[in-house]
Amino acid sequence: MTQTIAEETVARLNGVDKIYRLGDVDVVGLKGVTLALRRQKFTVIVGPSGSGKTTLLNLLGCIDTPNLGTVEVCGQDIATLDDNQLSDFRAMKIGFIFQNFSLIPVLTAYENVEYPLLLTGVPAAERKERTLAMLNAVELGDKANHRPNQLSGGQRQRVAIARSLIKEPALVLADEPTANLDTRTGGAIIALMRRMQETQHTSFVFSSHDPQLMEWADDTVTIRDGEIIDMRRAA
Amino acid sequence: MNLAYTVSIAFRNLFRNARRSSITVLSVATGGIAVLMFGGFVANIFHSLETGLVMSGGHLQVFKQGYFHFGAGDPASYGIANYDEVMQTIKSDPQLGPMVTLATPQLTLFGVAGNFKEGVSRTFLGVGFIPSDRRKMAQWDRYDMHIPIRLSGMTDEQTDVGIVGYGLARVLHLCDALQVKDCPQPPKKAEQKAAVDTDIQALASAEAQTAAQQTQAGDHPKIDLLAATSQGAPNIVSLTVLKAQNQGFKEMDEVFVGMPLGLAQKLIYGRGTKQATSVVVQLNDTDQLYQAVDRLNQLFQEKGWGLEVRTFHDLTPFYDQATGMFRSIFAFLAVLMGAIVLFTVINTMSMVVMERTVEIGTLRALGLRRNAVRLLFIVEGALLGMVGATLGVISAIILSILVNASHLTWLPPNNVERIPLRVNVTANPDLILWTWILLVVIATLSAFFPANRAARLTVVNALHQV
Ligand SMILES: Nc1ncnc2c1ncn2[C@@H]1O[C@H](COP(=O)(O)OP(=O)(O)O)[C@@H](O)[C@H]1O
Ligand SMILES: [Mg+2]
Repeated sequence: MTQTIAEETVARLNGVDKIYRLGDVDVVGLKGVTLALRRQKFTVIVGPSGSGKTTLLNLLGCIDTPNLGTVEVCGQDIATLDDNQLSDFRAMKIGFIFQNFSLIPVLTAYENVEYPLLLTGVPAAERKERTLAMLNAVELGDKANHRPNQLSGGQRQRVAIARSLIKEPALVLADEPTANLDTRTGGAIIALMRRMQETQHTSFVFSSHDPQLMEWADDTVTIRDGEIIDMRRAA
Repeated sequence: MNLAYTVSIAFRNLFRNARRSSITVLSVATGGIAVLMFGGFVANIFHSLETGLVMSGGHLQVFKQGYFHFGAGDPASYGIANYDEVMQTIKSDPQLGPMVTLATPQLTLFGVAGNFKEGVSRTFLGVGFIPSDRRKMAQWDRYDMHIPIRLSGMTDEQTDVGIVGYGLARVLHLCDALQVKDCPQPPKKAEQKAAVDTDIQALASAEAQTAAQQTQAGDHPKIDLLAATSQGAPNIVSLTVLKAQNQGFKEMDEVFVGMPLGLAQKLIYGRGTKQATSVVVQLNDTDQLYQAVDRLNQLFQEKGWGLEVRTFHDLTPFYDQATGMFRSIFAFLAVLMGAIVLFTVINTMSMVVMERTVEIGTLRALGLRRNAVRLLFIVEGALLGMVGATLGVISAIILSILVNASHLTWLPPNNVERIPLRVNVTANPDLILWTWILLVVIATLSAFFPANRAARLTVVNALHQV
């Protein structure tokens, strides 16, 4: 039984509390969250601003630690890893897509996409092949040598998607990736992410304050004031 | 993440705020220029002081033991009777011989100089030497300083011809006869200026003949030199004064009499054994000074001669005082420039880290380790240092060439004549190398603190720039 769960689950949170200390005041980020994310599914986390979406994704992305409870990604309890091990773990397993694109401005589109492969030490020839393939997959083959500031918001986010997927991570986290885009571009980006998730067989977690995006999801988690108030699976 | 890639990223980052990077690079370069130009100037001062001393007094002198402290007033007791043997030993020693350009005897004495026609006299410090050896010594120019050679005009053949200091000439009322310019007594000899300024080199070749003609012409004044012989009896010799020569500083100028060694020996030793108070030794290369000293001491001990060796450092304390002072000023300037570079780079890199906080968060989220983040900023600081230091070195070299080509001159302390103002930057590869290295090290160290701050950021705080 444990076997099947481990195989089916890419990440799980067990009784997780995350409290932010602001001077004398404690701000609740997450409270008593228990959650299992299915592998190779497109999970959407929905909740209004300040509900704890980013906090949740930070924990899943192994860039933050809970005050209480455990976080497990790919069967690994992340509390047991030190900072370097966590860095390497992220480099291997986790892709990030940020709201503000967060590309490295001094690197070209090509180099931004290639970067995760450098971190994991992929040989040059393979790197080149995979990077070009990934750029083509997000339809930016002709923009390979453009710097981020020469690209539109939608193009940048496509570079970011390519960058998050190039290392074939177990888990891709996209924290409100469309919030800085107009509705049409945002829609195209979501469609692209969904398509890539399917072709690459990746586990995708996507957060949004827009409940309409639930229609794209395999699984939906609704969150409010740091607590999960609803979880459902698409048919 | 490999270093080449890190360097490439750091390099590109320099161009993100090109204005700030330029200002930082320029301040590093300015620090380098200041240190190199002043260092080059100081090196030139050291070389010219050293060359001046070595040209006139050799690198070292060999004395009878005790002379240096007690013998100055007593040339009789502290004479070196076998100075010829000493010189021969030095020149033929397999170790010393190749180091030595010249060894020559010298006799220093005190007495009273009188111009009895005028009824004036005063005490003098006499130096007896071999004029031709002096001329050879004055050729020493190991550092290509081209210091004008001042010749006495004396020759080995004229056994009673010598020179006096300007001051002594004045006191002995010889200004008119010796055509001393700027002599306070008779204010009418300005037209001689041109003759004195004539090309020294030209004078040098013609010197021997003219000197001979002049003495034969008999238009040179004579003075009488009075001293006690080694037996304690008063003795007197007559000296034909060829010219008056400025000795640089007043104390020396007012007492100096230069004369042929033979005349000095006649005055002090009469018919007794001819001695010298020292053997002056000049080396090819000042770097061999202490090697030569050691060998000399060893030789003297072996022979049981009771001689001691004094270097130009001992004989002219002014040299060490002056170089020490310039060294202190240089060190002060270097520290000051280092501090400016330090603070400029710290400031720049702190701003860089602040501006790139979100980027740091992104890189860390992607899996870059803390150490790699630290390295990225350290490399960026090091690059600022390298570009600045290189620019500084190149600028200083160009500036020094311009300065050297502009033929400026200056009058060093204790010097008689203005010498070319030169800045030896290219001639000091060590100075260039060390300045470059230190600038880069300082810039790198300066970047270390901001880089550390960047590395310590938590990913979440960096990403959301708290
Ligand atoms: N670094 C932080 N320091 C203090 N409070 C924080 C911090 N990050 C988030 N919070 C608080 O935690 C709660 C959840 O925030 P967040 O996870 O960012 O929500 P969401 O992403 O859904 O907008 C909010 O009340 C927010 O103010
Ligand atoms: Mg958020």
